[in-house]
Amino acid sequence: MTSLATARRTGLPTRGHNRRRTLAPYAFLAAPMAFFAVLFFYPLVQELITSFYTGPRADQFAGVSNFTRAFADANMRHSFVVTFEFAAGTLVFSILIGLVLAAMLNARLKGSVIFRGILLVPYLTSIAIVGLLWRNILDPQVGVLNRLLVAAHLPTQTWLNTSPVATIVFIAVWQQVGYTTLLFLAGMQGIPESYYEAAKVDGASPWQRFWRVTLPLLAPTTLFVSVIGVISSLQEFALPYLVTNGGPGDATSLYVFRLYDVAFTFRDFGYASALSYLMLIVILILSAIQLRIGRRDHGE
Amino acid sequence: MANDNPAVRLRRGSDRLFPGDRAIAYVAVVLVCAVTVLPLLYMISLSLQSNAEIFAGNPVLWPAQLQFANYASLFERAPVARFLLNSFIMASLITLSHLIFDPLAGYAFAKFEFRFKRTLFIIVLATLMVPFFVRMIPIYVMFSQLGWTDSYQGLVVPFLSDAFGIFLMRQFIEPLPNTLIDAGRVDGASEWRIYRSIILPQTRAALAVLALFTFVFQWNNFLWPLVITSSTKMRTMPIGLTLFNQEYFTQWNLTAAGSVVLFVPTALLFFFTQRYLVRGIALTGLK
Repeated sequence: MTSLATARRTGLPTRGHNRRRTLAPYAFLAAPMAFFAVLFFYPLVQELITSFYTGPRADQFAGVSNFTRAFADANMRHSFVVTFEFAAGTLVFSILIGLVLAAMLNARLKGSVIFRGILLVPYLTSIAIVGLLWRNILDPQVGVLNRLLVAAHLPTQTWLNTSPVATIVFIAVWQQVGYTTLLFLAGMQGIPESYYEAAKVDGASPWQRFWRVTLPLLAPTTLFVSVIGVISSLQEFALPYLVTNGGPGDATSLYVFRLYDVAFTFRDFGYASALSYLMLIVILILSAIQLRIGRRDHGE
Repeated sequence: MANDNPAVRLRRGSDRLFPGDRAIAYVAVVLVCAVTVLPLLYMISLSLQSNAEIFAGNPVLWPAQLQFANYASLFERAPVARFLLNSFIMASLITLSHLIFDPLAGYAFAKFEFRFKRTLFIIVLATLMVPFFVRMIPIYVMFSQLGWTDSYQGLVVPFLSDAFGIFLMRQFIEPLPNTLIDAGRVDGASEWRIYRSIILPQTRAALAVLALFTFVFQWNNFLWPLVITSSTKMRTMPIGLTLFNQEYFTQWNLTAAGSVVLFVPTALLFFFTQRYLVRGIALTGLK
């Protein structure tokens, strides 16, 4: 007891004290780590195993045939291309619009906080609402958009037939541009004031300050927004499911939309697993590129 | 984050004004906000239109007479109350689970030194790179074997914790001073008591952000409830909404009414907690 009291007073760790301290974090982490093991890493391994099997119960060994089938499958190749078009379109427009909106909101506009709030609403709205609402608005018969265009003496279109990919890109951008704007706004507010003062002292015009200070210093934000955005677009399922049903034809059958069909309509779990892994590899490569560029920038 | 007062922040922004004309900026921002808000207002309008108005093939912007009876009709003709209850149960249970596990793990990573800490942290971060569609099929097969399809545990269990929540809590707990923890140890408090009585009460703001995000995203979750539920009584509201169009009725006014019902809880939450949400996105999005 005495030695324990002495040790405490002098700040030296006692034996029991020390042991308790080393075990506590494991106890705190046990449940979450068990959860990750069972519901992230076990499925990851299980999916890899399943990708080498075929049949309705995925119990006949099939070697790499699911993978070779994926590469030969014209539908899947088409889906892959459309998915990248969708991801690229969504990325370019959300970054451009987000950047410009953030720059505008960062200026002393009256009501900036309210605008920022309004822009975020679609991001927090269920994709089920967003998808059905736009399907209604764009509908050639009952949709209000064509009606408004007629009233304004502008040409009408059956939007989902004439430019299906562009239309779902528009809906995706509509939903997430507030989020992108917010990230850029946070990035801009993190740029030290002194940089702008220095640029001003050197006689830089507002445009020069924007191009030479704001944009380069936003590079980490832009990189983050790009990678997160592309990775989430590559996983888009709900928009084709709700708005276009993959059509017209298979014009908007995005990768995960088709994957869902292969798994849960055709019950081809082996093939679906192989398809998941192929997209996972693409996503991991993109993540690795982000880490690499991010590290290089920090190293300088 | 110290400058959360908008007045302060906007003054700070004054020297880095949008380089173009301010009037143009104003018009552009108002225009984008209009494009954002008008479809949602139209959804409300649509939910109040009469059958004659929606079937006329001549869509109207605003109903001649507000048909509040559409909402009653919605609850009569489809099990909307059940859908909403299921959504609420799913989102609440998942939120509760995050509030238990995420701060515990975040505290362990923020304030302890232990063997394998780095490895375990990397494992947690690695889960961020596992997209949901990769887990979806194996978990579905696993839950089928357990008899968990079409059940609440089936809806909830895949989302009990995640790296985002643990990371958020770690970032929040790390800067808290160690002196209180040390004082607790000197007084002989158990590690659990130190966590429960000293750490947890100080994390309220972060827990609020965590709860909001988790609830809103699970309330809106679409793909997994679609996959794992099959009976009408287990469907959540987002899935129920899509069923309106296929099974119950093809009346857009009722679909819109259902959308409004699904939208209102998130809209209210957002309205009252906007500041927390904005801060949460800025904080976790960039760190």
